[in-house]
Amino acid sequence: MSFEIPIGPQHPIHVEPLMLKLKVEGELIVDVDIDVSYIHRGIEKALELRSYPQGLFLAERICGICNCAHSLCYCLNIEQLLGKEAPPRAKYLRVIVEELSRVHSHLLWLGHYFHTLGFETLFMYFWRDRERVMDMLELMTGNRVTTSYNVIGGVRRDITPEIDSKLRRMIEHLRERMKYYEAAIRSEPSLLGRLQGVGLLKPEDAIRLGTVGPHLRASGVKHDVRLDDPYSGHEEIPFNVITYDTCDCYGRVMVRIGEVFESLDMIAYALDHLPSGEYRLKMPPFFKAPVGESLSRVEAPRGELIHYSISDGGTNPFRYRVRTPTLANLASVAAMLKSRGDYEVYIADVPAILGGIDPCICCTARVIITDEGKKTRRITTLTELERYARERGVRM
Amino acid sequence: MIWKILEVLIFPGALFILAMSLFYEWVDRKLYARLQNRVGPHLAGPFGIFQPIADLIKLLSKEDIVPAAADKFLFTFTPIIAPTLILFGCMFLPIAGPSGIISINGDLIILIALMSLFTVIIYLAGEGSNNRLASIGATRAALQLVGYEIPLTLALLCGAISARSLSLRGIVEAQTSYGSWIIAGPQIIGFAIFIVTAQAEMERTPFDIPEAEQEIVAGWSVEYGGRRLALFRLSRDLELFLLSGLGATVFLGGPSGPLIQGLEPFLHTIYFIAKSVVVLVIFTIFRAIFARLRIDQVLSFSWRYLMPLAILLVIITGVVA
Repeated sequence: MSFEIPIGPQHPIHVEPLMLKLKVEGELIVDVDIDVSYIHRGIEKALELRSYPQGLFLAERICGICNCAHSLCYCLNIEQLLGKEAPPRAKYLRVIVEELSRVHSHLLWLGHYFHTLGFETLFMYFWRDRERVMDMLELMTGNRVTTSYNVIGGVRRDITPEIDSKLRRMIEHLRERMKYYEAAIRSEPSLLGRLQGVGLLKPEDAIRLGTVGPHLRASGVKHDVRLDDPYSGHEEIPFNVITYDTCDCYGRVMVRIGEVFESLDMIAYALDHLPSGEYRLKMPPFFKAPVGESLSRVEAPRGELIHYSISDGGTNPFRYRVRTPTLANLASVAAMLKSRGDYEVYIADVPAILGGIDPCICCTARVIITDEGKKTRRITTLTELERYARERGVRM
Repeated sequence: MIWKILEVLIFPGALFILAMSLFYEWVDRKLYARLQNRVGPHLAGPFGIFQPIADLIKLLSKEDIVPAAADKFLFTFTPIIAPTLILFGCMFLPIAGPSGIISINGDLIILIALMSLFTVIIYLAGEGSNNRLASIGATRAALQLVGYEIPLTLALLCGAISARSLSLRGIVEAQTSYGSWIIAGPQIIGFAIFIVTAQAEMERTPFDIPEAEQEIVAGWSVEYGGRRLALFRLSRDLELFLLSGLGATVFLGGPSGPLIQGLEPFLHTIYFIAKSVVVLVIFTIFRAIFARLRIDQVLSFSWRYLMPLAILLVIITGVVA
């Protein structure tokens, strides 16, 4: 006997609206249907209605946790469109903040992941250490979450010797803590039982389904935008691409722990070799971009992030497109959630598998409005949507 | 007669047991929070000691909702029967003296039966609410019972065999007359099995599978709210008190200890609470250091390791005793 269980759109696994319709037989999942379109925000259209410097603030708010990656990707995109490049010091500062936010994102994920596995204690420990990183982000950028650090042509503020020494102290502290956690996770049988062999994704399947980021690296594929397409001085900063060939949730945890170590090393290196000079190009408040198109890629904490823009020579982009890593990874979730042959997926594995891709739904859903009643699909603008909402007395 | 009624209703009966179970919930929550680097309850009363009762009163005052699809009878009666069963079980505990308010031959067996019956009530509560998630949670509760019930029974019976008595009074008196607690000797294994299986009985991490929040929202209790949920929570607290007390009685000598003439009931209560809080602290630490297991892992763990261990223990106890 099989019946359908809804996981979402509101569910304790995840704070964001995501719908998984699971078809289960007892505790075994036989089929799954994923729906991400509960949180369309019309950000791409909104970007097209704003000038380039204004768009930065919007791009940063596509995602709360990887705001640094989004703003960096936007800045790189517009700089490329204008034919400019940030000064070397700005590149290194960008790397420092980017890696800090990667550490913050990975720690957040690790904590939340163990929370979804029912290990509340580790959740609290990880989030306590994450506070140190948040403090550092606040010290460096002025904000804890939405950093507003990257601007077109550089970064917003320079680093001071005081911040430098505090950062180094934080790195030492975090290295010690992470070593402890790594050893703890490796030797905790109740955790290993929940992680090992769960959510198997073979390398060829991972590539075929278009997965990116730590999720792909946990399947043993060495893919990292920072290595393949260095975008902010990564050719000078040494780092290892962490891969695991276990292809399961255990690998996903260990890859992220390894990446935290790498990020800490990168921050330390960038602090040691920080070039002198300007940290920001002088840019006019409003400018027109030459006709053309531009594509930028950034390794966000969750994977490869792509921004694409077309300019028609005006002050606004003609078209702006964002492709977030979660969208790329969701296809593999559907594949991993289906039991087939010896590979059995239980309801209890759903948090482990879904959480394994570090899903961020608010970045993901966009563009098309489907009218169920009229069976039509159309692309809408934010203003139109606002008007529509106002007419019906809905608050947006 | 009047004294007997007061004994049942106030001390060491219903009122005392309810107050103590709320206190035990506070100890559990506070210690759990401190183990996790959190503050824990701290607003209601000194160190938040009144937080459990504040939660209970708040829940009792909430709107009462019965889902249209639910079985009205089960939905109404399971929340009432659940705390009643456990409170009845608590009456057997020897709190203020070597015997409980009710003491008969073989009350240990009655207690074990009551605890299994409690799981049946939970199963009915889940199925009665007619919700898919609740139904999965209820099935998990029943499946889990298959895993832990026999080792739990065997562990407690090994204690009874060592004391050569099936009544709690006999077990307490045996420990007093031997001059040592049952836990000293091979029964330390029995105590360990008891801790693990009691954790499963109470559905606490790593065995909180029937109400796994991240998987099936709240499992069997998903449809219950307001005073019905309050009663289920109360029965959980009572269960915490019952199992800590049972562990303390069977393995740690219960209310026995050095006595002063004239102060016996008072000292017995103090010893009982001190010992059962020790058991409670072990429960809480156990809860803090594990991730939730999967239902198939629980079953294979308990049949592969706990069962043979428990049977081995029965043999050892039989040989030694």
